Amino acid sequence: MNLERLPNEEKLTLCRKYYLGKLQMYVCVWGFAFLPFLWLVNVVWFFKEAFVKPTYTEQLQIKTYVKRSGLGLLLWVAVLTTWITIFQHFRAEWGEVGDYLSFTIPLGIP
Amino acid sequence: MGLESSKWAIIFLVCWLYKNVSCNSVEQKIYVELNNTVPCVRLLNATHQIGCQSSISGDTGVIHVLESEADLEWPLSKGPNPPYMVLLESSLFTRSIMMKMKNESNRVAGVAVVVPNTSPPEFSPHTTCPNENTGVYSDNYGPNLAHCNTTVWNPRGNGLSYEEFDFPVFSLKEDNETEFIKQCYLDHNRAVNGSAPQYPLCAMQLFSHMHAVTNTPTCMRRNDINFSINPEMVCDPLGDYNVWGSIRPYNDTVFGHKENESVVIAAARLDSRAFFWEVSTGAEGSVSGFVTLLAAAQALREVTHAAPPTRNILFAFFQGETFDYIGSSRMVYDMENGKFVIDLDNIHSVLEIGQVAVHSGTNLFLHSDPVSRRNNTVNDEVKNLVNNLQSSTAGLGFLLVEPNVSQPLPPSSLQRFLRAQPIPGIVLADHESAFNNRYYESFYDNAANLNLTYPSDLSPEEQLEFVTDTAKSLTDVATVVARALYKQAGGDESLVNTIKADPKIVTQMLYGFLVSSNNSWFQAVMAPELKNILKPSPPEYYVGVAMSSTPTRLVQYLLANLTGAATNLTQSQCQKPDELPNESRQMYSYLWVQGIVPPNSTERDSFCVRASVRLTKAVSPAFELGEYASKDYSTWTESRWKFIKARIFLVASRDLEMLTLGVGVAVLFTSLLVTYFISTKADVLFSSTREPASAAY
Repeated sequence: MNLERLPNEEKLTLCRKYYLGKLQMYVCVWGFAFLPFLWLVNVVWFFKEAFVKPTYTEQLQIKTYVKRSGLGLLLWVAVLTTWITIFQHFRAEWGEVGDYLSFTIPLGIP
Repeated sequence: MGLESSKWAIIFLVCWLYKNVSCNSVEQKIYVELNNTVPCVRLLNATHQIGCQSSISGDTGVIHVLESEADLEWPLSKGPNPPYMVLLESSLFTRSIMMKMKNESNRVAGVAVVVPNTSPPEFSPHTTCPNENTGVYSDNYGPNLAHCNTTVWNPRGNGLSYEEFDFPVFSLKEDNETEFIKQCYLDHNRAVNGSAPQYPLCAMQLFSHMHAVTNTPTCMRRNDINFSINPEMVCDPLGDYNVWGSIRPYNDTVFGHKENESVVIAAARLDSRAFFWEVSTGAEGSVSGFVTLLAAAQALREVTHAAPPTRNILFAFFQGETFDYIGSSRMVYDMENGKFVIDLDNIHSVLEIGQVAVHSGTNLFLHSDPVSRRNNTVNDEVKNLVNNLQSSTAGLGFLLVEPNVSQPLPPSSLQRFLRAQPIPGIVLADHESAFNNRYYESFYDNAANLNLTYPSDLSPEEQLEFVTDTAKSLTDVATVVARALYKQAGGDESLVNTIKADPKIVTQMLYGFLVSSNNSWFQAVMAPELKNILKPSPPEYYVGVAMSSTPTRLVQYLLANLTGAATNLTQSQCQKPDELPNESRQMYSYLWVQGIVPPNSTERDSFCVRASVRLTKAVSPAFELGEYASKDYSTWTESRWKFIKARIFLVASRDLEMLTLGVGVAVLFTSLLVTYFISTKADVLFSSTREPASAAY
């Protein structure tokens, strides 16, 4: 979807949708789960719109949404990285718990 | 007409070309597959993993043929092209060399052992004290006898089979392939005048990636996890079937204690192992014992039909005894829980045949358990059994002697019976203290270990019938065992001297179990659907996980043929004997066997054998109870794997590989750049400079 062609009003609605994660008119539970990816999309897609383009009325709101999405994204990345590092390091030592938490268990290595 | 013939001509031309054209595979030009290799696999128990593991994409190493132990310096420290694949002669396959390589395993990619046709003076990869934690002796029962404190049974044992290696170890036969490998090494890998050998070097790659890790509870847990997309089984418990037969049949559906029933058990073990997977020959370790027991069962057949003894005699052949007594612990468990036809209280006494073929003098020895003999009743019964045995050797040229010192029982199935209840029992063996067997549980425990030699000019059929000295000596032992069992079971004393084992049967069994199982006698006693398990080589005695090992089937059918009766039932009646008035599948088992080929025909004379021979499951009780970390029962499992193979090829230096990769990447980027420039300047490069031609003429 080419943002160039959209009027500013619609850009704002789109940015808000991605921020809130509402992919339909109702609050979709899956939206919450995909939040970090939606926020990433928000930041990348609307970065130019929010910070580079010359000012227009809706830009201030778009800027807030992009900033908040960015913060949320950083938080999620930090949490996920910490959990993944801990799990990969200690899964073998956790024995039974590690096996029950795993989706695929590698063959032949502890 | 012309078109037709030219079409045919074209078709013939194409077919001829198709026949004469061949394809060349680049892979075949690079790799030479090694076909006669045997890997070492991973086994796990409640607390440890043993055996070897390779990485999932194989381990590659530059071949180095080891000349002596001092030469180990080259692969372990001095050699400039690690990792190395070390090729060992069997004389160098010792504990010290293997442990040194295990410690420096980042420079060793794997080991290949060349197994010769002649055996070294002694070699036993088993531990010095076999099955020390699952026998009867422990801190509560004869603590000074536990853990081989008084007698070390296998002093030559170097324990290699129970070590864990994180590189693959394969065995190669001494044949053309091994010559090829050594030639490749001499051509490419030799250091000339002290300088390092130049690339390309000869390398070997071994694949034996094992799926299971850590220990049995972990791998059984991973077997059961259903959550993942493709659940994979990673290990299987070791186990097979025990074979048992009795003089008087038992109803196979009535389990538990039988009133007024007193049974003498005669036991032997069926299985053996080696360092490498499945190549176990177990000649002295297991074959000598069960062949003697089969011959004794056959010797007792006539006299027990003519004058049945008071007590019943039960012949039991246990599988899986090498791995912490799988078969005997399962039978004792079944007896304790009322799942077997008799109970522990029904057992009068036990006579077990251990290793009986390698004599160091003229005597054989009767081992008993000193702790249970402190009880007077048990002691009297053991003395009675010893008397029966010693008086049975009259006129046979050897004596049965009890060992001088008070020492524990050797590793034997009787120990599992004693763990449950003090039962009088004797283990018959050819060793007074340490084993006479110099190759206990190794791949050298073969026919040569028993001095089983045949004159060189005999055909295979003649070899089958030739009575060797080993067969004669085992026949005498079988006669003694049969007579002693008959007396022990309360048989008629006057008939004892008529009991004689048949040397012809013993020598045919030795030939079939140690030289070639595909002989005419084994073919005659086996079922038609099982004749494919007979091969021109001896069977393998490793217990395995598939519940279908060859020795179990052979012993089942042999015991049936030697102790049972031939009937004149037809094949369909043999499968459904209950329809006939006098036959009952609950009391007997009915087996349809191939029979011999009569002299003037090609059809086999098949018939139905009725015998009181049964199979019972021999899987450790730990797996029935789900106690995978059990200290009381065997918990051995074998890992699964996808494929195992070995190949050799010439390998280039790392620098050349990186250079090739770098050049390739550079060509890629250059071409991308060139394409980009051409596409941006396309209008300049490809524009037409000519004006549109105007028609001037």
